[in-house]
Amino acid sequence: MAKKTYDLLFKLLLIGDSGVGKTCVLFRFSDDAFNTTFISTIGIDFKIKTVELQGKKIKLQIWDTAGQERFHTITTSYYRGAMGIMLVYDITNGKSFENISKWLRNIDEHANEDVERMLLGNKCDMDDKRVVPKGKGEQIAREHGIRFFETSAKANINIEKAFLTLAEDILRKTPVKEPNSENVDISSGGGVTGWKSKCC
Amino acid sequence: MEEPPLREEEEEGDEEEEEEEEGEEAGPEGALGKSPFQLTAEDVYDISYVMGRELMALGSDPRVTQLQFKIVRVLEMLETLVNEGNLTVEELRMERDSLRKEVEGLRREGPAAGREVNLGPDKMVVDLTDPNRPRFTLQELRDVLQERNKLKSQLFVAQEELQCYKSGLIPPREGPRGRREKDAVVARARNASKNKEEKTIIRKLFFFRSGKQT
Repeated sequence: MAKKTYDLLFKLLLIGDSGVGKTCVLFRFSDDAFNTTFISTIGIDFKIKTVELQGKKIKLQIWDTAGQERFHTITTSYYRGAMGIMLVYDITNGKSFENISKWLRNIDEHANEDVERMLLGNKCDMDDKRVVPKGKGEQIAREHGIRFFETSAKANINIEKAFLTLAEDILRKTPVKEPNSENVDISSGGGVTGWKSKCC
Repeated sequence: MEEPPLREEEEEGDEEEEEEEEGEEAGPEGALGKSPFQLTAEDVYDISYVMGRELMALGSDPRVTQLQFKIVRVLEMLETLVNEGNLTVEELRMERDSLRKEVEGLRREGPAAGREVNLGPDKMVVDLTDPNRPRFTLQELRDVLQERNKLKSQLFVAQEELQCYKSGLIPPREGPRGRREKDAVVARARNASKNKEEKTIIRKLFFFRSGKQT
């Protein structure tokens, strides 16, 4: 049998205010690079990265959305197919943190009910300009029962960890179509490592 | 002095240029005949001169000396009030002139600005000479983005396939497509299992767009 390029395809989505660093977070993860020039994303873009989790090759198709209001009608139509959504704010921008509730409402309105959510406080390398304490991010994540990381695309902090954790969370609740020996540890590992009580 | 102040104020606006000459013509005594609103510091000094002269003529009665101190004080107060009043008038005059210029400027731009105001709350004016003016619709942008992303995903698939050939994973004579399709499991495709065999990888990638997967 010819070897296939991947076992599973996960569709992820990055949302959050304009300028919080969604594209940079994705660029760091997909190309392990960082660019300081700010180019606003036009509407919607995507990148592909294949990772290996629990012996499975998982192709991550990661959709990067424009944070600007004028693109919202375009970007919200991409929520539906997402299995995981990363909501990004900027720890040096209080407004981007205040808008989290607005983004969470967008998820409720446009995404699948069982979508896996994650909150990222980006630019954590800029501690001297921080206006959002880490505790506030942790608190709002706890209130909504979602995972939280402080990240830095620039300093490469927690980027890979965040994506892999989100992929793992999706993998954990992915139904196994053709059970075989490889799949056993996926289903059995389900409730053990996850701290979330939310049922899929 | 007995003239009602209101009328004076109204007149002042139109006759501001003449007022100073009037005082000069009448000599020191003339200052006493002026309207209080047109009084200058010079007029106050004229009044001081006139009153001082008359007090001197009364002789050196101690009561006169007493009164003289009070009169000097009152005249000093008057001087301060007149100076301050004139400064205020000057400031107001400058402000009025700049506002007049502003109004004239706005009147010259008139028609264009007027139209903008009449457009209503949710309208905007497009400058047809601006090379960066908005000119494409949301649907056009949506279509272009969709096509861009489709081509991008096709490129990724082609790159992967090429990689497979290069690394010798797929023998060139074996058609890789049909086989890979069957093997690749799209997560959550539980509802779509019937059609699975017919779907290309691109279609699977773009299942995301169509949003039928609930």
